[in-house]
Amino acid sequence: MTNSALPEVPLPFGDLMAIAGRLENEKDYAFADRLLERALAAAPDQPDALHLSGIVAFRLGRRDEALTKIEHAIARGIDIRLYLRNISEVYRALGRFDDALNAALRATAMAPDDPVCLHNLAVIQYHRLELDDCIASAEKALTINAFLPGPHFQLAEALLLRGEWERGWNEYQWRFDLPGNAPLMPPTTQPRWDGTPFDEGTLLLVADQGFGDVIQFSRYIPWAAERCPNIAVASASEMIPLLRQVYPKAQLFNEWRYAPPFRAFRALSGLPALHGTRPDHLPGHVPYLRADPARAALWKERLNRLTPTASRRIGLVWAGRPTHNNDRWRSASLAEFAPLAALPGVALVSLQKGPAAAQAGQYFGAAPLVNIGAEIVDYEDTMAILESLDLLVTVDTSVGHIAGAMGRKVLILLARAPDWRWLLDRTDTPWYPSVTLVRQTTTGVWNDVMAKAAELVRSTFRQ
Amino acid sequence: MNAPSPALCPCGSGLRPARCCAMQAGSIPPAEAIRHLVPLVERAIQAYQQGAKDVAERLCLDVLELAPDRPGALSVLYSIRKEQGKAAAAEALIRRLVHFEPNNFEATNEIALMLLSKGALGEAEIHARNAIRIAPQAPQAHNLMGMIMTEAQRPRLGEYHYRQVLAISGTRDPIVLANLAWCLKNQGRMEEARALYEESAATAPDIRETLLGWARLEEADRNFAAAAEKLDRLDRLFPNDPGSVLTRAVLLGRMKRPDDALALLDRQAPAAPTETTESTDNATPPAGAAMASAPIGLGPTELSEKGRLLDQLDRHDEAWAAFTEGKRLAREYTGNVYLDQVAGDLVARLRGFFVSGRLALLPRAGVRTDVPQPVFVLGFPRSGTTLVEQTLSAHPAISAGDELPLINDIINIMPRMLNSPLTYPEALAELWMGDQRDGLDNLRDYYLQKAAQMEVAEPGAAWFTDKMPLNETHLGLIALLFPASPLIHVIRHPLDVMISALSNHFTHGFYCATALETAATHYVRVMDLVMHYRSEMALRYLPVRYDAMVTNQEETVRAILDFIGVPFDERCLSFHENRRYARTASYAQVTEPLYERSLYRYRHYRQHLEPVIPILRPMIERLGYTVD
Repeated sequence: MTNSALPEVPLPFGDLMAIAGRLENEKDYAFADRLLERALAAAPDQPDALHLSGIVAFRLGRRDEALTKIEHAIARGIDIRLYLRNISEVYRALGRFDDALNAALRATAMAPDDPVCLHNLAVIQYHRLELDDCIASAEKALTINAFLPGPHFQLAEALLLRGEWERGWNEYQWRFDLPGNAPLMPPTTQPRWDGTPFDEGTLLLVADQGFGDVIQFSRYIPWAAERCPNIAVASASEMIPLLRQVYPKAQLFNEWRYAPPFRAFRALSGLPALHGTRPDHLPGHVPYLRADPARAALWKERLNRLTPTASRRIGLVWAGRPTHNNDRWRSASLAEFAPLAALPGVALVSLQKGPAAAQAGQYFGAAPLVNIGAEIVDYEDTMAILESLDLLVTVDTSVGHIAGAMGRKVLILLARAPDWRWLLDRTDTPWYPSVTLVRQTTTGVWNDVMAKAAELVRSTFRQ
Repeated sequence: MNAPSPALCPCGSGLRPARCCAMQAGSIPPAEAIRHLVPLVERAIQAYQQGAKDVAERLCLDVLELAPDRPGALSVLYSIRKEQGKAAAAEALIRRLVHFEPNNFEATNEIALMLLSKGALGEAEIHARNAIRIAPQAPQAHNLMGMIMTEAQRPRLGEYHYRQVLAISGTRDPIVLANLAWCLKNQGRMEEARALYEESAATAPDIRETLLGWARLEEADRNFAAAAEKLDRLDRLFPNDPGSVLTRAVLLGRMKRPDDALALLDRQAPAAPTETTESTDNATPPAGAAMASAPIGLGPTELSEKGRLLDQLDRHDEAWAAFTEGKRLAREYTGNVYLDQVAGDLVARLRGFFVSGRLALLPRAGVRTDVPQPVFVLGFPRSGTTLVEQTLSAHPAISAGDELPLINDIINIMPRMLNSPLTYPEALAELWMGDQRDGLDNLRDYYLQKAAQMEVAEPGAAWFTDKMPLNETHLGLIALLFPASPLIHVIRHPLDVMISALSNHFTHGFYCATALETAATHYVRVMDLVMHYRSEMALRYLPVRYDAMVTNQEETVRAILDFIGVPFDERCLSFHENRRYARTASYAQVTEPLYERSLYRYRHYRQHLEPVIPILRPMIERLGYTVD
């Protein structure tokens, strides 16, 4: 069925629900929404319709409505276990972690053998930083179904975050099997590289995941090249100039039709597992990225004209890519950086790109802010600008990785449940010695983080 | 049965629309066909000269019905409508006359004067230039140009033309001397101006404008007793002169006697109001300017002054009534209303043009280091830009340039300079052509050359201010022309800005301040545009809060000076001792130390502002203010 029109002939309620369920599965949310609206008009309290309508509303971003409907469905209950399982995810998305936990616990109590319930529970427990419980829930789900990628990946994140990297790397490989993830590369008969050195033939590395991951894991390329000197890297074009710096001899390409013949392949993010990386055992040296001197000089001149010469320049990035699955928690807003804007003698330099960059126009704080992000064309510009800054303050984005890889001073502001790579509690990171981590104490609350960051900036400049 | 009388043109000319504002080009009969009307035109002129204006009017209407381009009839009917206070009709008629007779010196003069009195300085200048082209040796043409240039913030050019009048005429005409004195006063050259007034008054002691201008000079120069003495002389000669009453009221207000000032205004006998142009303290143009029509009672300017006095006395409801009545009268007299469509179109085109993708492809002008550079003090009229300029110009490295019209000039000449068939901003697309790659440098040099001609920078100054209100509308262009120039944007509670807009008359912003709602609409449009520019471009931009200037002066001044890149100077904190004369409406305020009374004045007018709060609330919140 297409979404061109609603069925002309009245359908039996069951058929209507079946079609709506199929449309939801096929991600035709708008049409499913219209069908469910019709179903609810006929039967406003029908729990399955309420539940499915809530799920569709959630997919369409109408989270409050989703919650109301699913709560209503639970109150009317037919398949309460399913409703609870799903509402826990809605609660989590809304940041209501206590409610999410309660719903997930109720769901698992009602269906102790449902690995999906346990996986949802593990995800919530990760966000609550209840890592022992998270690991236990994921492991329990895997005892029921050992081949579910979701619990494996959640287990990986919890283990890696705790610093248990050896076991964590193994579980981390399951990320490729997560539903919805694009395949790493076109189908191939060549083997995945297992770390065995070879001189003949090319080792193909795939710069997978986000740009931050590519920058972080690119330090492994020279390590791989020591084992397989002929390296080719498949990468998004934005990363190619950076990768060229890391290993100039690599063959770099951004479209699969340009891929050379290769003997084995490996995802870039799979190299730490081969290397046997531990927090105290990382390959390579920092800095491994540097700005082009000519570009750096141009941007320096530009910034000298745009900011007061006597001021300390603080670069800012307040938001990451909006499509990142954790963006809601890792991104802040420019307004929340007010304590930094109140520091005397500073000039703020926005390196923000994307939709959040518009917030630069709405800033009317005391410190001058230059929206240099509007003129940044590529990451080479970013690196060149970073050379002219006294400090970068950023949420967990690729710019933080670049600055860290360049050895520039950076404060990275982390969500309470951070990405695994930043480990727990510590203010430093083994990945980048020049980075200082500032951690949230309450999920979604940046006030104290910004105040702490401002204090760190003040003391940094005092030195 | 009587046939219905044909509908007349809405302008009030008395002609049918088809013979007036809705006239088609093809409806003008050939001259040969209407030669029999010539005697009627002559009779109309004769009747008018003899005072038989009803007869003259009837004859003119008859002639123009048959031949709508007859200059004599247009001229007489224009004079009659002008005397009747029918501003729209008079304007339509004189425009038509100039259109059909572009070399008519008298008509060109007349239209320029009319536009000057209306505050349409840009258009007035076009006709004044034509007048000089028609008659380069006519003192009257140069006098007109002098007046317009003086009003248009180019007093140095005005001075040139006044001196041309003196040179061409070979006499020391007292009116021209007084005009020149006014022009010099606007340059802050008070002693020279005073000497000229003395000379003028010695020759002709009974000229109203001379005494009035002189009194205003003394008032502006803080010689209150001398100002009062001039006004006393004026009152003896012209009892109940509205200009004198207004000036004395302003004087009493500055002398902290608002009750007396108010009583004076209230006592004013019904009389002609002073004309309403820009609300600088130039409310009385020099002699020779056309007066607005003359209804009875307080005029717009007097009502605004009355409102301000009532505000000082905390009689806010009465103040509001005076302000709104002043606005109503100003609309009625000038016919000016907000050019909503024009403003909206321009803003939309600017938003569409200045986007990061296009800006990445546009060059920037180079930065000149051999001449003083502009510091742009931006803001809505009456938002505190004069305060910031006065503060900055107390610094030896910064001169006050005042409201320079040069960005608007550049916008107007851009198509010609860039050889473009398009207008601004689309004309900037020519910068991609090989022969226009240095186009921005040329435009920048035009600005700097004109600024040098106006002698805005004092010797030794590295910077001069340009505080033309609403220049922020053209932030993108300014940043292309002067990429290293500081952009100081004065931010004030939008509702306070509205109070100031209501209590003053200004033409900036497409006449937005002719009504409260349109002022709010334009404010939001421009602020949205500023935010757009800032999200699309890297700008050397500093928002300065008026409240911070008042409550945290030293820190704020230090931050601004640091932003400009000049060392702190104590003199900037006592800007009120800066003897420089600020010619805009704020001149009296900036001669006093900072006072907090000016903060959040809107609270006294909260209920009256209700209609614009929904328009402004999002911006109020975005700026971090609240509505209390």
